[in-house]
Amino acid sequence: MQLKRTLSVVTCSILAASIVTADDYVRLQYIYYDEDSGRTSVSTPAMEINKDFGVDYTLNVSLVYDSLSGASPTFVDASSGATATVSDGAVYKNDIRFADVDYADKRKSVGVAFTTRFASRDALTVGANFSNEYDYRSYEASAEYLHYLDGSKNQSVSLGASYQKNDVSVYCSLGTDICDTSSGASEKIMDLDVISLEVGFTQTIDTTSQIKASLFYIAEDGYLSNPYMRVVRDYDSNPKITPEKKPNSRKSYGLFLQYAKALNDRLAFVSSYRFYRDDWDIMSHTVNGEFYYEQSSALTLGAGLRYYRQNEAEFYNGRRDYFTTEIYASSDRRMSGYNALNYTVSIDYRLNDKISLNASMSYYDQLDYFDAVYYGMGLKYRF
Amino acid sequence: MKREMSMRFMILSLLVICSGCSIKDVKPWEKATLAKESMKEGGGNVLLTRFKHHIYFSKEGSKGGGGVSGGGCGCN
Repeated sequence: MQLKRTLSVVTCSILAASIVTADDYVRLQYIYYDEDSGRTSVSTPAMEINKDFGVDYTLNVSLVYDSLSGASPTFVDASSGATATVSDGAVYKNDIRFADVDYADKRKSVGVAFTTRFASRDALTVGANFSNEYDYRSYEASAEYLHYLDGSKNQSVSLGASYQKNDVSVYCSLGTDICDTSSGASEKIMDLDVISLEVGFTQTIDTTSQIKASLFYIAEDGYLSNPYMRVVRDYDSNPKITPEKKPNSRKSYGLFLQYAKALNDRLAFVSSYRFYRDDWDIMSHTVNGEFYYEQSSALTLGAGLRYYRQNEAEFYNGRRDYFTTEIYASSDRRMSGYNALNYTVSIDYRLNDKISLNASMSYYDQLDYFDAVYYGMGLKYRF
Repeated sequence: MKREMSMRFMILSLLVICSGCSIKDVKPWEKATLAKESMKEGGGNVLLTRFKHHIYFSKEGSKGGGGVSGGGCGCN
């Protein structure tokens, strides 16, 4: 009788563990992103596969294909046309325009992550990412260790690190000063190395709420300029359109806080705050809030709002009559000070135990600069 | 200076809020609500969340805080 009871407890535990941890699925997602005034549009089909091997191992694979087209704003010489490969040199003041330069690109990326759970249920996840574009290639290796501080797994700490190696193809026709024009080379491959570190802490507060806090540090070293971005120098004396120049290193750090709370059986709230600062003098604050309402066991509705604010980099200026002989100079608007808002509504419909469908619409508004709408639709198949 | 002050105030406020939280010893079988997808950013839709972060990364001047993995992109 005692043996029977013990066996049934063990069986129940194993079943419960399987129910809790088995998370085998394939997710297909399509996203279409479109900026106003015919600027950037992106078409992105993506796929994710997640497979548990018992309760100790999980494999996650994701594939993403981005097809981009549109235009990006920078200074151009109107007399020679607004193209990305416009030659630099002296120009007439009246020919200088801040205009959209056409571009197109395709980006393919693959990510793999493998998680191993130990007897203590601590987990080690190792991952690799690779992406390839027309003029950019990126390799990344990462590892994250999760350690539970108590038997009920209500408290955990994590430590993550990644190393990224990027190859940037800079075409000599873009007029940057990194090409040895006497060699006749048409392009030069520039390195960009990125090291990221993150330390996290998670605390379960009660049966309906949880907090997470993490500190992150990112060190970038290499070619951080955008070879397509231009600045105007010596506008008042001898105006020239020249490539922008950003520093070759950037150190940034920040704090991320997240709080998730189920307000009742149907309504959940997920909020977060991020503080960021770097040695380019950019500081930013990001606040994000999302509500999810389970209308029924099949239908979940979501709504979210994100607010972002940053101040400008020390070498940024958007005026055409500002730069003269400064070493670092950029008129890239992403380096300026601005606010941005992102609104999202979503719907998730569970057809049956195996299949869920989702659709979402988001509106991103970078105040004073541009806005964009993006739509997502997807399917999740559990197996 | 004003920004530094507001930042310190924000961190202090969060610490005060969290210090008021009454932390309970939640047993594994009581975590059904916490395990719901609606308790995760993006409602658990990892691909959509990654795409959003990709937009923010390529259109804004800062990044980080969402984990160390993510891959590079020629969009800086």
